[in-house]
Amino acid sequence: MNYNYKEGNLVIMLDEDLDMNSCKYLRAIIDGYIMRYQPKNFILDLSLVKFMDSSGIGLIIGRYNLLKLIDSSMTIVNPTNSIKRVLELSNVSKDIVMRSE
Amino acid sequence: MNSMTIEIKALLENVATVRVAISSFISNLDITIDELMDVKTAVSEAVTNSVEHGYDGILDDESTVMINAYIIADEEDMIRIEVIDKGVGIEDIELATTPTYTSKPELEHAGMGFTIMESFMDEIVIDSSKNEGTKITMNKKLKKKKSREISV
Repeated sequence: MNYNYKEGNLVIMLDEDLDMNSCKYLRAIIDGYIMRYQPKNFILDLSLVKFMDSSGIGLIIGRYNLLKLIDSSMTIVNPTNSIKRVLELSNVSKDIVMRSE
Repeated sequence: MNSMTIEIKALLENVATVRVAISSFISNLDITIDELMDVKTAVSEAVTNSVEHGYDGILDDESTVMINAYIIADEEDMIRIEVIDKGVGIEDIELATTPTYTSKPELEHAGMGFTIMESFMDEIVIDSSKNEGTKITMNKKLKKKKSREISV
């Protein structure tokens, strides 16, 4: 993964399958960046993520709840069709902005 | 009928291997990307469940998860996946399959595993006995592509 912080925007770009194995450690790392920068906008870039199961829903809801506490918005960028379908099964898709670019 | 069996030690790091093997096994079928991803995601959920909950974190050499995949050719091709562990079993299947229910909320599990299996596959059967283990059977029929229907 890599990250970029600029003028209130924290972008985290993930580059691996989001399953239970990866989400277990990713959440701590991502929370570290969120707490360090306290961004206005948090952008999770999934352009390089080819697979996500329900563990990814847990990861996204967890970060969303943390961001809400510090009044930050969350945007998911470039989810694949299949990731979108997984997200749409949960309520999270109603609250989080998804965008393809 | 074509078939494949994989047996893994119940470790999370092995789930990706199963996903790749199953995808590869079914990729020669007349299958759309969406159908392939549906099966791959449902398999990931079922195997993750067995690894995370089957053995309650206490592993020995017998703590394995077996995955059987079948391709049943008929008028419509069907994929059948069985995920079998010899673990603690699911005490309350109705509760376990309730959307957003998780026995481990502190781990940020979304509780959506069974919802995904039910949505992405056509049929799912859960067979579980306390201290004997759990067997999940999932079927998915493949829709024939239009081009092939016309040529027939």
